[in-house]
Amino acid sequence: MLAAPGLVFVTLGLLLPLALMLRNSLNRYDPSELMISAVTAENYLKFFGDAFYQEVLWRTVWISGLSTAICLVAGVPVAYFLARHVSALAKRMLLIVILVPLLIGNAVRTSAWMLILNDKGVLAAFLGLFGHEGPLGLMYSAQGVIIGLVSVLLPFMIITLNSVFESIDQNLEDAGQSLGAGHFTIMRRIVLPLAMPGVLAGSVLCFILSMNAYATPVLIGGPTFHMMAPTVYQQIAKVMNWPFGAALAFILMAVTLILTVGVSVVVQRRYRKWSE
Amino acid sequence: MPDVVLQDVAKHYGPAVAVANMSLRIGDGELVALLGPSGCGKTTTLRMIGGFVETTSGCITVGGRDVTALPPNRRNMGFVFQNYALFPHMTVAQNVAFGLEMRGVNRSDTDRKVREALVRVRLAQYADRLPRQLSGGQQQRVALARALVIEPDVLLLDEPLSNLDASLRQEMKIEIRQLQQSLGLTTIFVTHDQDEAMSTADRMVLMYNGKVEQVGPPDEVYGAPRSVFAAGFLGIPNLLPGQMLPGQQGFRLEAGPVLRLSGQAAVAGRCFLALRPEVISIHAAPPSDAENCLAGRVEIMTYHGSAVEYQLRTDIGLTLTARAVAPGLGGPALLPEGSRAWLSWPATAGVTVSEN
Repeated sequence: MLAAPGLVFVTLGLLLPLALMLRNSLNRYDPSELMISAVTAENYLKFFGDAFYQEVLWRTVWISGLSTAICLVAGVPVAYFLARHVSALAKRMLLIVILVPLLIGNAVRTSAWMLILNDKGVLAAFLGLFGHEGPLGLMYSAQGVIIGLVSVLLPFMIITLNSVFESIDQNLEDAGQSLGAGHFTIMRRIVLPLAMPGVLAGSVLCFILSMNAYATPVLIGGPTFHMMAPTVYQQIAKVMNWPFGAALAFILMAVTLILTVGVSVVVQRRYRKWSE
Repeated sequence: MPDVVLQDVAKHYGPAVAVANMSLRIGDGELVALLGPSGCGKTTTLRMIGGFVETTSGCITVGGRDVTALPPNRRNMGFVFQNYALFPHMTVAQNVAFGLEMRGVNRSDTDRKVREALVRVRLAQYADRLPRQLSGGQQQRVALARALVIEPDVLLLDEPLSNLDASLRQEMKIEIRQLQQSLGLTTIFVTHDQDEAMSTADRMVLMYNGKVEQVGPPDEVYGAPRSVFAAGFLGIPNLLPGQMLPGQQGFRLEAGPVLRLSGQAAVAGRCFLALRPEVISIHAAPPSDAENCLAGRVEIMTYHGSAVEYQLRTDIGLTLTARAVAPGLGGPALLPEGSRAWLSWPATAGVTVSEN
């Protein structure tokens, strides 16, 4: 019964708007009258008929996948180091440092990246000291967006991985070592397989967050770099095409869901034997 | 099989000394128990031998080869962890095969050796199970098979029996001993249980506060503990404070009386007479020809089946524990709590131990 207020809140606050959006996505759009009540698939057909929007979706997927992969590669060593080689006090301090990016608002943090990444910015000035000339080309580029995304997603990855590394018995690594395995082999054969639930959770988290990223693609990507979340916003708030915006939002949600659930099922099937 | 030599090995954690200058030689094929209470440095010592803890100073050699600076994966030692540390995501066979794989042993040899190792610990039919599907004793045997299959120079066991119930512990104790004997393996194991150490080891190393208190075969250490700590830890409850009389004529108790004592080395100053409960006889009436006799009142009587243990408060204020054979097995009749009794023991019984 204690769950009742929560359930009511989730129903009213999440499912109801979603149902409303679903309904909107089936409506018809007219430039003069805006939304006309109807039941039609034309908004979805428009997406699948227009290469531009498919390209936006594809870009969103690969940017998110790549950002997640970078977070994973960068996060594993940091999280492992924190779990194994750092005293309790130092770890608390370092975790706070790692969490700092999350304490700063999205727009503020991204603006700071703009100051760093632009062609006359901090990074350009720094590289200039070493003789680098010409524009960096990081602003308004995929690389810039990925840098911005990784900077905010990495803390999520590190914290998720850290807790799973800490739950792995150090004796297992010692046992591996006494049997002749080096550090790399222990990581590959013992630690990572056992950390798989955490790797999966961290990756899913990062992927979902970057699929839905808004501020970073808008501010660093600029007006010609399109990803899904800003496009949804543009349709709903600028073009006032609510039905199409709603359809785009549903497509984004469906693709995110299919990809994360799909990957989770594949990974879990491989490791289910012992993890249940 | 090589021997293991520890020379002035020490481990300091900042100002705290975990192990202080320890020197010890473990002979070829010998089974040595590191025994002591928790925090005595026994596990640290074992982990230094295994390479998991760096030594602060000193050197460790195995068969003449200095391994002090080698990482664990290059020491060729089998290590059995207290919690077994089986890889939970690998089957029993994969666990056992892991060390062979690391050594680049080919597939067919690996399969054969794994099978042999599992047969040796009587787990052949469990090869494809996961560790969590096995009982504690079975997991322990997998850990043993995994450590032995790599043909290690030395076998190291950290509290191997502490997670097992009493009957299984007895069984594993015998099994470990038999395996060790049949392979002639130099073995070091850590325990806090003196029974376990005494019944398994060729020699035991009694440790306290990071130092070796006493080394020797179990009967020698138990029969002649050299310190109050050793006597207490080995389960000798009767430690009577006093002083030896000149010329080893006797032992003057601090409580007053002089006891007859023979065959003891001289100990200067305050010392203790350690009397095992089994050497003290209990009587319902004053014995006529006892060399040493103290009268008192039975405080606690504990019946153990084959033996009866009495705790007596003597008239001179000392509390003594005596262990008598049960009445049905030829021992004296039971003396109820509160009854008057007399304790006696021969002059040759007991050993004097120094204060520290």
